Amino acid sequence: MARIVACYKWVIDESDIKVNPDLSINLQNSKGKISDYDKNAIEAAVNAAELLEGKPVGLTFGNSKCKASLKDALSRGLEEAYFINSEKADKADGRVTAAALATAIQEMGEVDLVVCAEGASDTYARQTAPRLGACLDLPVISSVNSFTIEGKTLTAIRKLDDCLETVKVELPAIIAVLPEINHPPIPGLKAVMNAGKKKMVEFAEADLKVDLNPKNQVLDLQAYVMERKNIVFADGELTEQVKNLVIALKKEGVI
Amino acid sequence: MSDIYIYSERLDIAAELIGFARQNHKEPYVVTFSAVAAEELANLGANKVFYLKGESPLVENYAKQISKFLKEQAASHFMVGATARGRDLAARVAGYMDCGMASDLSGLTYVDDELICERIIYGGAVRQKEAFKDFCVVTVPGGLFEPVQGDCEIFTIDLKADERVVLVERTEIPSRGNDLPTASKVVCVGLGLAEEEDLSLVNGLVDVLEGEIACTRGIAEERHWLPVERYIGISGAVIKPELYIALGVSGQIQHVYGIRESKIIVAIDKNDKAPIFRYADYGIVGDMYEIIPLLTDLLN
Ligand SMILES: Cc1cc2nc3c(=O)[nH]c(=O)nc-3n(C[C@H](O)[C@H](O)[C@H](O)COP(=O)(O)OP(=O)(O)OC[C@H]3O[C@@H](n4cnc5c(N)ncnc54)[C@H](O)[C@@H]3O)c2cc1C
Repeated sequence: MARIVACYKWVIDESDIKVNPDLSINLQNSKGKISDYDKNAIEAAVNAAELLEGKPVGLTFGNSKCKASLKDALSRGLEEAYFINSEKADKADGRVTAAALATAIQEMGEVDLVVCAEGASDTYARQTAPRLGACLDLPVISSVNSFTIEGKTLTAIRKLDDCLETVKVELPAIIAVLPEINHPPIPGLKAVMNAGKKKMVEFAEADLKVDLNPKNQVLDLQAYVMERKNIVFADGELTEQVKNLVIALKKEGVI
Repeated sequence: MSDIYIYSERLDIAAELIGFARQNHKEPYVVTFSAVAAEELANLGANKVFYLKGESPLVENYAKQISKFLKEQAASHFMVGATARGRDLAARVAGYMDCGMASDLSGLTYVDDELICERIIYGGAVRQKEAFKDFCVVTVPGGLFEPVQGDCEIFTIDLKADERVVLVERTEIPSRGNDLPTASKVVCVGLGLAEEEDLSLVNGLVDVLEGEIACTRGIAEERHWLPVERYIGISGAVIKPELYIALGVSGQIQHVYGIRESKIIVAIDKNDKAPIFRYADYGIVGDMYEIIPLLTDLLN
């Protein structure tokens, strides 16, 4: 049976990030979530599996906390979930992530299609799918806006900055999908209940003979702040406030 | 370690990257897949232009061969314009080179021959600085560096493509008179807009300002009231107008990512706690349906 792998990342919910007075950031109380864009990737993998009459499975690389994501991923229509458990995921760069995912995909055996999102909602580096292609020496189609599959031929419409491209590839292949590709439904109660009964496979770091040390050295993380005037016109009636706004904009020379 | 190899199908970005290399006393070399582009690039201050000639119309299909070429040339860095195609090609080359890569940089400098890259993560909330000692790949958007001039020779090299992905058709996306990326005044409407018809109210303001209309993701992606090219943010357009006016936009970081470089930001929202006020120079707390007509009249 054809196997379709959806790669997803368990990320920190950016709305939980706290900023310290010195602009360093505090991630301690932040909760995790499946990267928003990866919900599209999972949904696309489930759809592809229908077209291929195959089995959609999930694959993630994360620290031990990421285990909590498996049930969530499985409730979204995946039939099995694979998890590479490594604390090194915290410091992973694009190379490490792709190497870990590629090794796990090779462990799984035959794979027909790998679906990634264009980027993760935390780092948005957009490296995983193309790098996976290099690691596995598989063809890659990025920026996929829609696709169809007939036999073993996948035809995709890519949306690039200034054009639409229709491209074709014989499977196995890797695709990176845009968020516009679908609207993943919120899993129903039954799907959530069933998720716990599905197959979950864990790879320990030692199982994967791969170098998980990043090539970059992170020097600094700092909250992004914008210096703005923060003037709110609150005096007088609304007409007065609008007048004051126009005066201010004239002074700034922007109108 | 000073030979920087550069690629971008956007010649303005390629030109800026050559400028960056020159400013930092490095040696810029440019690769291109178009004979026409090669001619233009040969006047922009590089040491050499390599015209890579092959059968496939998809630039990404040359990634493996480019990585071989870069190794042969002993390149110290590969710098690529951060377009959809550029990012894809760059990450594949990084994959084949098994090297580090930093994407979509907001800043790039050399400190003692280490490349220091700055980028924005967590949807715009955090700035990350990272350093690379060895060969690495970076993608860089336009507008960060100044181009220079100077002539050089063009060398043609035959390159074999990986032809597993085949192009069937390519159609240009008509820009539909979309001047948003270069507009000096932008009026952005958010989900505070109750009805599609109310866009005419907003357009009235856009017209007196002689600006462009923009929106948040929900207006384009969920309600389909404006084309997707019109939404601003991390997954949409990034703009740098003189004046940006937000109407019924709450100001979530993913949206604000796209307006950070605006000169003046104005927020109009009925919720005084909306985060947009933190990112604004000027604001009015109130109903946009009352404020827009007043503002339009005054400007008229
Ligand atoms: C991974 C990811 C990527 C994303 N990328 C983007 C992106 O690129 N661009 C983007 O825009 N969003 C993006 N989003 C969505 C983003 O997080 C916000 O949900 C979105 O920007 C909110 O849009 P909004 O401000 O229009 O709507 P809301 O947050 O619903 O805000 C509407 C505002 O209108 C105000 N309002 C209502 N009625 C009135 C009235 N009559 N007068 C005045 N004010 C009124 C309300 O007080 C409120 O502040 C992304 C989200 C995720 C998770």
